[in-house]
Amino acid sequence: MNGVLSCLFWLAIGVVLAFITLPLAVVVAASLSPSSTVTFLPWDWTLEWFGALLSDRWLQPFLLSFRIATVVAAISGVLGILAAYAIVYEKIPGSALIMAGLLSPLSVPQIVKGVAIVLFLSIIGLQGILGTPALIAAHVVLALPFVTRMAATSLTNFDGNLDRAAQSLGATKRQRLQHIVLPMIKPGVLSGVTFAFIISFNNIPLSVFLVRPGDTTLPIAVINYLEYSLDPVMAAVNVASMIFILTVIFLFEKIGGFSTQLHGGSK
Amino acid sequence: MNATRYLPLFLTMAFVGAPGLAVAESLVVNSYGGPYEAIIEERIIEPFEEKTGIDVVYDAVGSASQDYAKIKATQGQPGFDVVVMTASQSLQGCKDGLLEKLDAAVISNLGKLGPSLAAVAGPCGAVHEVQYMSLLYRTDKLPSPPTSWSSLLAPELKGKIILPTFQNIMAVFLMEIMSVARGGDMIDHIDPGFDAMAELARQSIGFEQSSAILESYIKDGTVWAMPFWNGRAQLLVDLGVPVDYVRPKEGTIPLIATLNVPVGARNKQAAMAFIDFFLEKSSQEAWVTSYKVGSARTDIDIPDNVRKRQITTEADLKSLKLPNLSHVAEKLSEWGERWERDVVSQAN
Amino acid sequence: MSTIALTAPAAMPPAPAKTSGYLVLAPSCLVLTVFFALPMGTTIGMSFTDGETLAPTLAHYQRFFSDGLSLAGLYRTTVMSILVAVCVTVFGYPVAYYLARSRSRWRAVVFALALAPELAGVVLRTYGWLIILEDRGFINDALLNLGIIASPLPLSKNLFAVVVGLTHVILPFGILSLTTSIQGIDPNLERAAQMLGASRLSVLRHIVLPLSVPGIVSSLLISFTMAASAYATPALLGGARFKVLATMIYEQVLFYIDWRFAAVMAIALLLMMLTVSFLGIRYETRRSNRRTNSEGVFS
Repeated sequence: MNGVLSCLFWLAIGVVLAFITLPLAVVVAASLSPSSTVTFLPWDWTLEWFGALLSDRWLQPFLLSFRIATVVAAISGVLGILAAYAIVYEKIPGSALIMAGLLSPLSVPQIVKGVAIVLFLSIIGLQGILGTPALIAAHVVLALPFVTRMAATSLTNFDGNLDRAAQSLGATKRQRLQHIVLPMIKPGVLSGVTFAFIISFNNIPLSVFLVRPGDTTLPIAVINYLEYSLDPVMAAVNVASMIFILTVIFLFEKIGGFSTQLHGGSK
Repeated sequence: MNATRYLPLFLTMAFVGAPGLAVAESLVVNSYGGPYEAIIEERIIEPFEEKTGIDVVYDAVGSASQDYAKIKATQGQPGFDVVVMTASQSLQGCKDGLLEKLDAAVISNLGKLGPSLAAVAGPCGAVHEVQYMSLLYRTDKLPSPPTSWSSLLAPELKGKIILPTFQNIMAVFLMEIMSVARGGDMIDHIDPGFDAMAELARQSIGFEQSSAILESYIKDGTVWAMPFWNGRAQLLVDLGVPVDYVRPKEGTIPLIATLNVPVGARNKQAAMAFIDFFLEKSSQEAWVTSYKVGSARTDIDIPDNVRKRQITTEADLKSLKLPNLSHVAEKLSEWGERWERDVVSQAN
Repeated sequence: MSTIALTAPAAMPPAPAKTSGYLVLAPSCLVLTVFFALPMGTTIGMSFTDGETLAPTLAHYQRFFSDGLSLAGLYRTTVMSILVAVCVTVFGYPVAYYLARSRSRWRAVVFALALAPELAGVVLRTYGWLIILEDRGFINDALLNLGIIASPLPLSKNLFAVVVGLTHVILPFGILSLTTSIQGIDPNLERAAQMLGASRLSVLRHIVLPLSVPGIVSSLLISFTMAASAYATPALLGGARFKVLATMIYEQVLFYIDWRFAAVMAIALLLMMLTVSFLGIRYETRRSNRRTNSEGVFS
C-alpha cells in the first residue's frame, strides 16, 4: 500500500513537472532556432538572437521594469505585513470583510483597473503622474493582495501558543512581535515580496494603459514586438528575462526567503 | 543577517544609471512596431531629425483603436504628440473634440493631397498612406489566381482559409464587400453580408486578430487564401513567399491611414512640422517605395510597377468602395453582437 | 510546540490593540482607496449614466442581462475558473508536499521548476502552448504523422486549451500557498502517527489533508480569482470562439470604447468573485475559530 502510494506520488510530481517544463522548453528552443520555425535539433541552434538584446531598444525597458519592480516589492512587503498583522493577529472586528476588501483588486480584470485609474487621474487633472509614479502605485495595488494573503496564511498557521507562552512569561507585545511573530512569518512575507517583484516585472495589462510614451516597461516592449513580428528575438527576450528573474530569486534565497521557508526554517 | 549584505547591492543595481527622464523637448511619435517601425525610422524619422534638429522619440505601443482609447481616457493628453491612426479615428476624434484640426496654412503639404482622399479623413487627419484589402493567395496551391471574393467559398478552399476577428477592421470591410456583392449595401441593408460571413466562417479554420499571426498561416501553407492589407501582402511577395494578391472584381475597400495630433499634445509646433515633412513629395516617394503602400499625393514619381499595384491616383480611389466611416462607427457595437451570434458560432 | 494544549486560550488582546490594528491598516487602505476604490467608484458611477447626456440610466445593465452574450460570457468564466482552481490545487498539492517536506538536494531543482512558469512572461508561455496545442501544433502533427488520427484534434481555441494554459500560468501561485501551509504542519505529528503504525495513506487522510485546509482554500481562492480575471491567456488560447468576461471587457474598452458597458461587465465579474472569495474566507475563519475553541488534539 505504502509502495503504491509513493509510486503515485512520484509519478504525480513527474507529470506536473513535465507539464510545467514543456511550453518553456518550446520557448527556449524557439529562442535558439535559426528561423521562426522552431527546431529541436541542437546542432542547428544559434545564439545570434541574444545579441540583438544588447541594444537600447531592450535595455532601457529592462532597466525601467527593474526599478519599478524593486520599489513595488519593497512597498507592498511593508504594507502587506501591516495588513496581515491587523487582520489575523489583532483579529480586528470584521476581518473577513476587510480581507475580502483587500483581496478585491485581484478580482477586477487589470485592464479595468488600468482604465479606471487613467479615467480617475484625468478627471482630477493628474494625468501628469502617468508613467513611473502611476505604474508603481498600480503595481502595488496588484501585488498587495498576494503579499497580504501570504503573510496572513503564515500568521494563521503560526502557533498561537508560542505567543501566549511568551506573554505569560511576561514578554511585552513589542518583544513578542520582534522575536516571535516576525521571524515566524518571514518566509511567507519574503515569498510574497518575491511574488510582488515578479508580478510587477511581468505585468502587461495594467501597464499598457499607464506607461508614458517613449518610456515603456519590458513586457510592453515585448508585446508590441509580438503584435508585429513572430521572430525568435521575442523568445530570446523572454528567455533572457527569465534568467534574470531566476537570478533575483537566487538573491532572495540568499537573503533568507525561500531557503528558510523550504528547509522548514525555524521548525 | 544576510539581508544587510545583499539588499543594498540589489537596490544599487536597480537604480544605477537611471537615465534622466528622456522627453524634455523631444517629439513623441506613436505608431506601430515591426516592419513599419524599421521603415519609418530609416525613411522618415532620421531624415526629419537631420533636417530640423528635433529629437524624435518613437513609441510603438498600441493599435489605432487602442491609441484612440488612450486619447479618450486622458482627455486628449495621452503623452504623444503625433499618432498614426486611421480615418475612422480621425473622424471620431474630431467629433469628440480630442484631435487638433489641421490647418493647410501651417502644414502646407496638406494642400497637395488629392482632395477626395483627404476629405475622407476629415479636418483632423492628414492622410499619409493608403492601402486596400486585397485577396492574398498561395500561388503554389491554387491553379489560377482567384478573381472574386466568392472564390473564398470554393469547395477546394474548405478548411484552407482564415478570417480576421471582428476587432480587426478588415473583418468589417470584408463583410461590407460581400454584402454589396450579394445585393445588399454597406450600412442599412447589411444582412447579405452577415449571411456571407457565416458561410465563410463554416469554410474557415477560425479567426485571428493580429496581422503577424494571420500571415504566419499563409506563410507555412496551412491556409491558402485570406483577405490581407496589400502593403503587407507586397512585403510577403518581396520576401519570396509563394503568394500573390489581387483586387477582386467586386472591388475592395481602402484603409486610409492618418497622422493626428491630440488636443493636449505638448509639442504641437514640432508635431505639425513632422506631419508636413511626412507629406513632403520626397518623403511620400520614400514611404510608398519602401513600405509598399499607396499615397494620397498624386504628384509623386514612383516606378510604374509599384504604381500599378497601389492606390496613387484619384481614379484608383474611385475604383474603390468607401463606406461612410462615421456610420460604420455607430453600427460597430450592434454589428459586433450580431457577429458573435451569427458568424463566430458558425465556425468549426 | 504543537503539543497538547494544557492551558485555556489566553484572553483576547486588550482594547487599545484594536485601535492600533486599524492604524496599521491605514497605509494599505490609503493606497487601495486612491488607486483602486476611487477609480473603481468613478467607473461604477459611470455605469449608471448615459454616455451622451450623462443622465442616470439602467440601460447598460439591461443590455447585460438581455443580450445573451454577456451572461454566456459570465457562465463560461465561472466554469473555466472552477476547473482551473481545481486543477491547480490538485496538481500543485503533491509538488507542494514534496517542497515542504523533502530535504533532498533535488528540492531546489523542483522548486525552480515549479516556479518556472511565472518567470517567463504570460504571452510567451501562452505562445508555447499555442505551438503545442494548435491544429498545426506538435501534438496534432505527431498524431497525424503516426496515422492515429485523420484530422487535427480540437485542442486549441476552446475551454480545454484555456484551462491548460491558465493552470500552467497559475500553478506556481497555488504551489507556493500550499507549501507555506503544509510547512505550518508539525512533521512530528506525521512521524508520530507513522510510528504508531498508521499507513501513509491514513496519515495523509487524517493528518496532512485536514491540517492543510487553510492552504487548500487559499490556493483555490487565489487560482479562482486569477483565472476569472486573466486576459492574455484566454484571449490567445480561447480566441474568438471561447470568450470570457475579461476578454469581452477588453474589447469594450479598447475596441468599442464603451467604458460604461465595460464597467457593467467588470462589476458583474467583481460581484461573482467577491462572493466566492467571501464564502471561502468565512469558511476558513469559522474553521480556524472552531480549532482554537475546541483546542483539542492539534493546535
